[in-house]
Amino acid sequence: MSQEIIDTVAQYLTPSIPIKLISQGAEAVVFSTAVHPYCPMRETASGNEPTQYIIKYRSPKKYRHPIIDKQLTKHRTLSESRLLAKLFLIEHLNVPKLIATDVYNGYIWLEFLGEDLPNNCGYSNLKNFLWMYANDPYNEQVKNTLFEVGKQIGLLHWNDYCHGDLTTSNIVLAKDDNGIDWVPYLIDFGLGSQSNMVEDKGVDLYVLERAIISTHSSFSGKYNQWLIDGFSSIYKAQGKTGAKKLEEVLKRFADVRMRGRKRTMVG
Amino acid sequence: MVNLNTIEPRNGRNYYIALGLEGSANKLGVGVIKHTRLPNTASGDNSHNCQVEILSNIRDTYVTPPGEGFLPRDTARHHRNWVVRIIKQALEKAKINDPTADIDVICFTRGPGMGAPLHSVAIAARTCSLMWEVPLVGVNHCVGHIEMGREITKAENHVVLYVSGGNTQVIAYSENRYRIFGETLDVAIGNCSDRFARTLKIPNAPSPGYNIEQLAKNCQHKESLIELPYTVKGMDLSMSGILAHIDSLAKDLFKGNKKNKILFDKETGEQKVTIEDLCHSLQENLFAMLVEITERAMAHVNASQVLIVGGVGSNTRLQEMMGQMCKDRADGRVHATDERFCIDNGVMIAQAGLLQYRMGDYVKDLSDTVVTQKFRTDEVYVSWRE
Amino acid sequence: MQLPQFPGTNIEILLYENVSNVDAIRSRVVELPYAFIDASAICSVEQIMSAIYRVMIEANYNRLRTKTLHSEILLALSPTSNIGEAFKRFGLKENTKNLFMIQITQDKTSNVDKTLVKGDIIEFKDESIERMSDIETIKKIYKIDQSLHLKNNTQLSRAVVDAIQLRGL
Repeated sequence: MSQEIIDTVAQYLTPSIPIKLISQGAEAVVFSTAVHPYCPMRETASGNEPTQYIIKYRSPKKYRHPIIDKQLTKHRTLSESRLLAKLFLIEHLNVPKLIATDVYNGYIWLEFLGEDLPNNCGYSNLKNFLWMYANDPYNEQVKNTLFEVGKQIGLLHWNDYCHGDLTTSNIVLAKDDNGIDWVPYLIDFGLGSQSNMVEDKGVDLYVLERAIISTHSSFSGKYNQWLIDGFSSIYKAQGKTGAKKLEEVLKRFADVRMRGRKRTMVG
Repeated sequence: MVNLNTIEPRNGRNYYIALGLEGSANKLGVGVIKHTRLPNTASGDNSHNCQVEILSNIRDTYVTPPGEGFLPRDTARHHRNWVVRIIKQALEKAKINDPTADIDVICFTRGPGMGAPLHSVAIAARTCSLMWEVPLVGVNHCVGHIEMGREITKAENHVVLYVSGGNTQVIAYSENRYRIFGETLDVAIGNCSDRFARTLKIPNAPSPGYNIEQLAKNCQHKESLIELPYTVKGMDLSMSGILAHIDSLAKDLFKGNKKNKILFDKETGEQKVTIEDLCHSLQENLFAMLVEITERAMAHVNASQVLIVGGVGSNTRLQEMMGQMCKDRADGRVHATDERFCIDNGVMIAQAGLLQYRMGDYVKDLSDTVVTQKFRTDEVYVSWRE
Repeated sequence: MQLPQFPGTNIEILLYENVSNVDAIRSRVVELPYAFIDASAICSVEQIMSAIYRVMIEANYNRLRTKTLHSEILLALSPTSNIGEAFKRFGLKENTKNLFMIQITQDKTSNVDKTLVKGDIIEFKDESIERMSDIETIKKIYKIDQSLHLKNNTQLSRAVVDAIQLRGL
């Protein structure tokens, strides 16, 4: 990770916004902070732990022509922000809240979701959650959670959106208002798009299935079944059209699996 | 555990000799290589470290006049006319006097590529095999590029960008396959530049892409850029729209179509854009897309290096951009080979074929030597790697 | 107060209730160095603040589309880039009773003229704002479908913030 990028971000944010590096993808660098960009009164508002925020930064790529670079940064920062705004309007679909966008510099501010799992099991994404239950893999809570995850993907696809990079790290679990049940959120829509193509949906499902198989192989059969059950429940609730579309998506999903989508990889 | 030393070299020698025949497109290549049987190849992941010796590497390119592409039938005729002479030259240069005694294996390109040219070279390979009683190995052209690149550069923990006239793929190795992460959804990058070169009517020698690269280098307005579609789709890319766009610009330029405001000044009608500008913009746009999908794949598999193979890999601007990207990602670096190895050649086919042969995998029945135009990189079981 | 990212800029926000001299202010709105916003079009603190943030981003990294930072706040609040429309929707109206008076300055100390507006100053917080919001008008301005599931003010505010952040881009 290049120090230059961190320095740029720190300079842009000024010392009043201390940041912590979370990850560096090909597309963006992700930081967390406890400072809200424009609601300073929020920080101390509700008690114990300070609320966290996510800053996603698309750094300039020196390898490409500055004109191309500027256009792409703006376009992508904007399209991801737009997608989040649109997805929020879909009832029952859970995505992180967009707080701010600076398309000129390539920054997006988002709400931080999830928490640390008990017993040092790490951050509460689906991947770590399933690891946490490795000794009790068919626990009712696992089943319910995977079913709910499936429903989220079902909602996304039913409304003709695709995620584009649906891995178990891009599904985050947050406790519901009662602090008991896990509520799944889909995150990182950097490769997401509006799409009514069955192929895109089939690939989404396949990528997730591969992710489950590669990290939780012994229980992947049941896990994937529960996901598909949840996914199907959304379509089935839409009557005949839903059932027909579901059949198309699942058929393509099977095709993609047979073909072995090229970008299947471990991890 | 990979053991590359299971098959005994012929006649009790301690080295292997392989003859490679390549003819999937307009280059006819014949190469002879030698692998000494080393202790380090008896175990472990050392297939990129065979200390290959290149005994000969001869190539003859079928060059068409400016404005024309190479057609399968004519290319096949070129290969048929030349293959015997080129094989003889290669053997002579490699000082192989008795092929029956000296050659361990004959490797030929099974695909992918143009049917007719592939077929003519396969016939030559079969004939030599029967004549000299030497076993045959059919090689995937893309795997040939990858194995040659690995052996020459010794790249490790890398993603492969394979860019040529017929292919554009981002590949990473995993569990005995070269898996394709991203690829073109329509035309290949080399094809794109070849076709643009035809529109520009610039020479096809030494290669259309090389000539475009030179024109781009001479561009006087590098700070500006003509806007072209940027069509990365996840890890894939599409180039046909870009080609159509730049093609129509070039045609307008030749016609002197003053209505085109991108090319001619609105008021004075003065020409604002040159051929060099078009070449520069095309390269900048296409290469940015290539580097981007390569970086995506690197992030996915946690690789720090890139190996560029294929004819377009010799483009210095592409190498420069890729190098910059690798540098900006934690201490990464780019590996590329020069034109001897990145442009289609027989040596690379020999290298991949010999690795396969040393794992005991060769043609047992001539019916398995049928060439195939479509042959995906990930169809090959890579037995010689961990 | 300051935005953490723009420490050199001071922001003063006053929320007035039961204002009696709206006409007088309206007639001088152009010359006064403040932004005045009709409180009925506002549903939350974050709506106001996210618009101010957007203004600061535009001012620092792009360009202003109106004459001053203050008029830019009204535009920033709007879901469209039509300046006249933005003033009509968020500016003071004849019947405005409650309003925001906002000042953005590079000065260190506050110099807001608190005598200008005749009305009661109340705390700038969600509870006070919610009392004054006209939810139906807000939904109309932001074209938020009536049938939508926005169950509470928090969700309405989120949709509004999305619109503010993405306007005109």
